[in-house]
Amino acid sequence: MTESQSEFGGPTVRRMLVGAQLRRLRTEMGLSREEAGEAIRASEWKIHRLENGQVGFKERDIIDLLRLYGVTDADEVAAFLLLTREANTPGWWQHYGDLLPRWFRTYVDLESAAALIRTYEGQLIPGLLQTDDYIRAVIGGAQLDEPSEEMGRRVRLRMARQTLLTREHPPRLWAVIDEAALRRPVGGPEVMRGQLERLIDASKLPNVTLQILPFAVGAHSGMPGAFSILRFADRELPDVVYLEHLTNAVYLDKRDEVERYLDVMEYLCDDSEPPGRTVELLERILDEV
Amino acid sequence: MADDWTTRINTGVPNPARIYDYFLGGKDNFPADREVAEQVVAIAPVARDIVEDNRAFLRRAVRLLAGEAGIRQFIDLGSGLPTQGNVHEIAQAVAPDARVVYVDNDAMVVTHSRALLAGDNTAAIEADLRDPDSVMRHPEVRELIDFDQPIALLLMAILHFVPDDEDPYGIVARFRDALPAGSYLALSHGTRDIPARPDMSPEAMAEMGAKVERLYQLTTASLVTRTHAQVERFFDGFDLLDPGLVEIQLWRPDEADALLPGGFYGGVGRKR
Repeated sequence: MTESQSEFGGPTVRRMLVGAQLRRLRTEMGLSREEAGEAIRASEWKIHRLENGQVGFKERDIIDLLRLYGVTDADEVAAFLLLTREANTPGWWQHYGDLLPRWFRTYVDLESAAALIRTYEGQLIPGLLQTDDYIRAVIGGAQLDEPSEEMGRRVRLRMARQTLLTREHPPRLWAVIDEAALRRPVGGPEVMRGQLERLIDASKLPNVTLQILPFAVGAHSGMPGAFSILRFADRELPDVVYLEHLTNAVYLDKRDEVERYLDVMEYLCDDSEPPGRTVELLERILDEV
Repeated sequence: MADDWTTRINTGVPNPARIYDYFLGGKDNFPADREVAEQVVAIAPVARDIVEDNRAFLRRAVRLLAGEAGIRQFIDLGSGLPTQGNVHEIAQAVAPDARVVYVDNDAMVVTHSRALLAGDNTAAIEADLRDPDSVMRHPEVRELIDFDQPIALLLMAILHFVPDDEDPYGIVARFRDALPAGSYLALSHGTRDIPARPDMSPEAMAEMGAKVERLYQLTTASLVTRTHAQVERFFDGFDLLDPGLVEIQLWRPDEADALLPGGFYGGVGRKR
């Protein structure tokens, strides 16, 4: 596929992922878009479009940018170029079957580029709102049998991800949490109390909306499982649905599939208690832990 | 309006709020909405522009109300899905202490408004403007709005979804009578009146309006355009500010480039 063809292919999740990673690498180096543009003889605007996944990638540009961003390890560059090549291939939905750290990382990049994150959780507290004790209890409960340094790394990664909500120009998080996730004493009463207090604090943030889906609703449209919908500020970028499984994650950006999830999300939000009642309900559950 | 037995949110039935969202380039619309919206655009390519112009009219009106008119309380009736530049954002940019209540009868609109707009000095309630008492007696309205102080009532692109047999004039009068003197009414309303447009004949404009009205019969609320005289009647008991009731594009435009007028009338009146 040549670049000119892919220019008309429209943004795909993979392009957005590659773009989001390029943005992260650039900002980690403290470089402006303009400075990055100079390295590939391109405008600031071109970098903006690349990072939004709106144009196809030229391999030479990617190599130059990676060098500028200090990515020199041959394997790393090769892996990135592979991802770039895949990104240039149009394809509406992608299946990420990679090792956990990598797909998790790509999700984090995509999530940090979103303007609105809508999430529904039936079993767990949403990742962006978990306390470190809660994360440890969840990882412990999953029987992953991993060395403690790996667990420490995962906890740190998740905590780092949470800074998203308090950064400058943060995205908005609109989460629906099933009452089941609030009642299950993950890590014991002490951990759960800390977690519920964290949710009460979070729901007071201006960019966080929490709604509780009460047991009283009975059967509901979200019963097949947890999912998140990422929405990007740019009008041309499609919403992306993210589904996390035990060994991999799935991204959906095909419109009819995404709309099924949007539809379900609308029902869930309408079935849930309004956000104005969240603090009162959390306090009641906290009293009963 | 949806029948009582239908679910509160039905994304399979075209919905005016989501069609409007589509016209504004939003992402909260579904295939059924887009199907009607695209047919509207096919008949009336100006539809998108008119909707943009309506948002711009809203911005100018709210800025004036929060600014030189000194209004600190707003009730936005039929507020629609949240978008860029919502009423509280416009008003609070001018007057940080401005209070805003968003009112809509559509469950999805209310869900989104509560999640995305409500906050300090801002509330979103589910109520039907056709029952004014249900709005004015609502506890959240009572909490935020002081009916002894001037209030701005916004009826933007909404009364054309209230047919004559539902007594739109009586509804507006009921609200008006509850407002203290010095309050304001700002409204916009779809029309088939012939604007002085260089690009369209009067016959084409009338035909276009009739076709669009027929399309909206497929949605949850049918569309009734009204004439200048009919729209002006909503301002009974109010003194219209300059330049009166005019095409929204001509109401105190702040850009030098003149926009093509037509589609909606708009005006702002002060209660005597």
